Amino acid sequence: MIHFVLLISRQGKVRLTKWYSPYTQKERTKVIRELSGLILNRGPKLCNFVEWRGYKVVYKRYASLYFCMCIDQDDNELEILEIIHHFVEILDRYFGSVCELDLIFNFHKAYYILDELLIAGELQESSKKTVARLIAAQDSLVEAAKEQASSLSNMIAQATK
Amino acid sequence: MGSQGGFGQSKEFLDLIKSIGECRSKAEEDRIVLREIETLKTRLSSPNTPKFKLKEYLIRLLYVEMLGHDASFGYIHAVKMTHDENLLLKRTGYLAVTLFLNEDHDLIILIVNTIQKDLKSDNYLVVCAALNAVCRLINEETIPAVLPQVVELLGHQKEAVRKKAVMALHRFYQRAPGSVSHLISNFRKRLCDNDPGVMGAALCPLFDLITIDADAYKDLVVSFVNILKQVAERRLPKSYDYHQMPAPFIQIKLLKILALLGSGDKKASEQMYTIVGDIMRKCDSTSNIGNAILYECICCVSSLHPNPKLLEAAADAISKFLKSDSHNLRYLGIDALSRLIKISPEIADAAQHQLAVIDCLEDPDDTLKRKTFELLYKMTKSSNVEVIVDRMIQYMISISDSHYKTEIASRCVELAEQFAPSNQWFIQAMNKVFEHAGDLVNAKVAHNLMRLIAEGFGEDDDAADTQLRSSAVESYLQIMGEPKLPSAFLQVICWVLGEYGTADGKYSASYITGKLCDVAEAHLADDTVKAYAITALMKIYSFEIAAGRAVDVLPECQSLIEEMLASHSTDLQQRAYELQAILSLDANAVEKIMPMNSTCDDIEIDKSLSFLNGYVQQAVENGAQPYIPESERSGMSNISNFKSQEDHESSTHALRFEAYELPKPMLSQNVPPILASSTELVPVPEPSYVSDILQPATSAPSGSDAGPSELRLRLDGVQRKWGRPTYSSATPSTSSNDAVKIQNEATQRDSVGMSNSKARDVSYDSRKQQVEISPEKQKLAASLFGGVSKSDGRQPSSSQKVSKHQNPTSDKSRAAKAAAPDTAVVKTPQTPPDLLDLSEPSISSSAPSVDPFKQWEGLLDLKQDPTPVSAGGVGSTETSDFMSLFTDMSLNVPSDGVAGTMPNVINGNGLGGIMADHSAQQLNKGPNLKQALEKDARVRQMGVTPSGQNPNLFKDLLG
Repeated sequence: MIHFVLLISRQGKVRLTKWYSPYTQKERTKVIRELSGLILNRGPKLCNFVEWRGYKVVYKRYASLYFCMCIDQDDNELEILEIIHHFVEILDRYFGSVCELDLIFNFHKAYYILDELLIAGELQESSKKTVARLIAAQDSLVEAAKEQASSLSNMIAQATK
Repeated sequence: MGSQGGFGQSKEFLDLIKSIGECRSKAEEDRIVLREIETLKTRLSSPNTPKFKLKEYLIRLLYVEMLGHDASFGYIHAVKMTHDENLLLKRTGYLAVTLFLNEDHDLIILIVNTIQKDLKSDNYLVVCAALNAVCRLINEETIPAVLPQVVELLGHQKEAVRKKAVMALHRFYQRAPGSVSHLISNFRKRLCDNDPGVMGAALCPLFDLITIDADAYKDLVVSFVNILKQVAERRLPKSYDYHQMPAPFIQIKLLKILALLGSGDKKASEQMYTIVGDIMRKCDSTSNIGNAILYECICCVSSLHPNPKLLEAAADAISKFLKSDSHNLRYLGIDALSRLIKISPEIADAAQHQLAVIDCLEDPDDTLKRKTFELLYKMTKSSNVEVIVDRMIQYMISISDSHYKTEIASRCVELAEQFAPSNQWFIQAMNKVFEHAGDLVNAKVAHNLMRLIAEGFGEDDDAADTQLRSSAVESYLQIMGEPKLPSAFLQVICWVLGEYGTADGKYSASYITGKLCDVAEAHLADDTVKAYAITALMKIYSFEIAAGRAVDVLPECQSLIEEMLASHSTDLQQRAYELQAILSLDANAVEKIMPMNSTCDDIEIDKSLSFLNGYVQQAVENGAQPYIPESERSGMSNISNFKSQEDHESSTHALRFEAYELPKPMLSQNVPPILASSTELVPVPEPSYVSDILQPATSAPSGSDAGPSELRLRLDGVQRKWGRPTYSSATPSTSSNDAVKIQNEATQRDSVGMSNSKARDVSYDSRKQQVEISPEKQKLAASLFGGVSKSDGRQPSSSQKVSKHQNPTSDKSRAAKAAAPDTAVVKTPQTPPDLLDLSEPSISSSAPSVDPFKQWEGLLDLKQDPTPVSAGGVGSTETSDFMSLFTDMSLNVPSDGVAGTMPNVINGNGLGGIMADHSAQQLNKGPNLKQALEKDARVRQMGVTPSGQNPNLFKDLLG
């Protein structure tokens, strides 16, 4: 089971956190501090896995961002590494060559995508297409709602001219 | 799909992010965030804020909390937003609550109602959003409120909803297995779902269920094998392919399940051999995901009933992993090796593996090193224990992570106890462990060590015992002067010095007592150490008195005792008084109280105090009142009854929700006399207290002093693990005796046949057998192990005596290991002498055949990337260009030289140092570049210029 997902920038800034096991706000801060110290200091050619408090943390660096997932001792590390990559591929397709700025400004969208990918700490959907379809469906509803709102305000604006 | 690009946020939000990015210090950032929090507080609670604005504020609040600030004032607004009719707002609300709240938060109760309503919605997106929240927020208490709806959704027409419903049910099962136990059959049903996503989701709960009870699911073996077959034959929709592998994540899950079902079950295993073999053959070992499946296959094979063909395939795969340049693969190789070694010990004999293992052990990567230690731990036997434990101790000293230090220290102790080749070595090793990690190891370990020193190797070899003790005393006298010894170690030292300090006559009593006083004075704050020291003093003095020698209490001892007499700790005080009392007794009495070398004698407690009979008799004759037992005293007849009842109740501390059980008939028989005596039972705890303290009091006269007897009590039931076969004969279990015998044979074989190979074999099994007494496992291990030992049986036992001192062999093995690279090269000429040589033939041989440029241009769309794994991925991103930001999502790094050139070609600006992702990149090559440029332009337009103005945010991107 995945206990949490962390996205940290190279400066140790948190870009996204998702907790699948209960952690209090205090513990969260501590975990993030501990892990960013551990992971950011690792050399480039080492394993993508770190043992930590009896768990394993699998991380991968993409440009300036570290994607980390914390898993149980008996999970398959390489699989998790691929889940991370899977997530990044989906992000990339959604944002169109995703960059850190996309994730800073639209972090809530990254959360929506993550919610379609992982649920309760397990991979729920391994088909990129399905995830994309679901996100698109949600977005189209959002777009519709927006259009409605803007057309309404347009009408009001024209009426008051 | 496509780009959602235009960051779509208001100017305010952009400014906030920008200013935080520009912060130069944490204090500055905090100031900005606090200001933002104030703004959000007023805006969120203002009734005039338009709804769509609220949504943005909430997202800003999420951002604030992500930065580590308290945003709890806004939680209620998030909860309110989930009530909203508008899906856009509702979704944001749900996102916010799942991120803000834990499942035990007070506000959860306010959301349950909304969730209930939304689960019934006819818009499946609303249902999905609600189910996401259910998975995160519903706790044990609220499960019943949503359970019926979730179960209903298992049959929803949309597969996305069914999938999430399955996962929600799985979550409920994890939270409170009891609440959904009647619904477990639903998971089986979902296994046959038309949609592969739902089927894949159902595997998660089934995996959990099978982990707990595999037998109940044996009937599903055929189904799982069939599904796996279909997946491997690419019968699933193409969209489930990942890097040209058919639905790899589902394959891995299925392999995990099969491993559980086939474990220890020959019949079930036989059904799986074909498909597992097929998958192993089909795996593409050049891609990461292929290797992930391969690794899972090895794990599966190692847990199934052994099959020679599969084991061979697994061994091949492992050797490929170990030979790889990638740390990740070597890590997995080591892990896989330690799994396989359990059932197929021969695999470790391969010289190439040994080389690889040594390589990993010396690797600077901590993760890899630890994994290797784990493997070594499993491979340890008496011929290699010295090298392994020495290595472990060295590593233990070098690290600061206390969590791991504790673990490795207790492993050292365990191994040393089990396999120690000689007393000196054992004592030395223990000294090192205690010196550097004494406060981290379990107190039991220290007690175990004392017991080992006290009991030695068994009754038949007194000389060896004495030698062990005197070597311990000698080394402790040397070491005890060092500053900052851990408390646990000092306790051991004091105890050993007290028991055996003067035993061999080498050291005088005054020398030892002087040392003990030094210890006590140097550790004034540590009462436990002082207590150990003073008890040790007492023992030494009483031995002296008993031996008829005159006792001269050193002045510093005298002052120490006086100090203790006035100590705040009653324990210390008592010990000091006892010491004083003993000093004034004559030799005869002292010999009775403190018999020499008595720690191993069993203390028989005379509970009836029969030795006092004569005294009592005399007193009664002199006119004393005879003793009336508790039970016969009036008004006290119910005490024992009452006490047992109380015991029963105190054992269940938690609140009881079920009805009280009916009164038992036996109890009611006892009740009438109580009522008759008309003394209502009053819960007086006193009688039981009296009987409690009575026991130690009675035990006192028959035994030695409090210290050792306490120890002995604590050690009761602790397993005996000492490596010598004779030692464990003390435990009457025949099966463990067998194990020892078998291990003995194995050891013999080692010492005869393969002293130069640091091979790890059967002894692991035999050890396991000794440690775990679960009969089932024992049986399995015995069957596994029996085969091996039979073949060993023919080894002539006369060639070398059952070695008491294995120093010669292990020295040889150490020498062999030290020279390992050389010897191995001689032995296996096909392995290249330099393992770091990148040009390994088998795996990366295809690398040069693919032109990376072509690949970059997307000409080889479906071609797999040549090299196995990225080595960290981003060696040279320092100079990465903004537009090539995420292009290094490559699985694979062909080689550094090539890596440097590729982005140059594409970007034409020579900045890049990143590889192209082979799949994502190939799919939309042209647009990517354009998009990136567009994005860059857009960012500049917005004023978030990625330049020197805000270096913190963009430094890494521009380099």
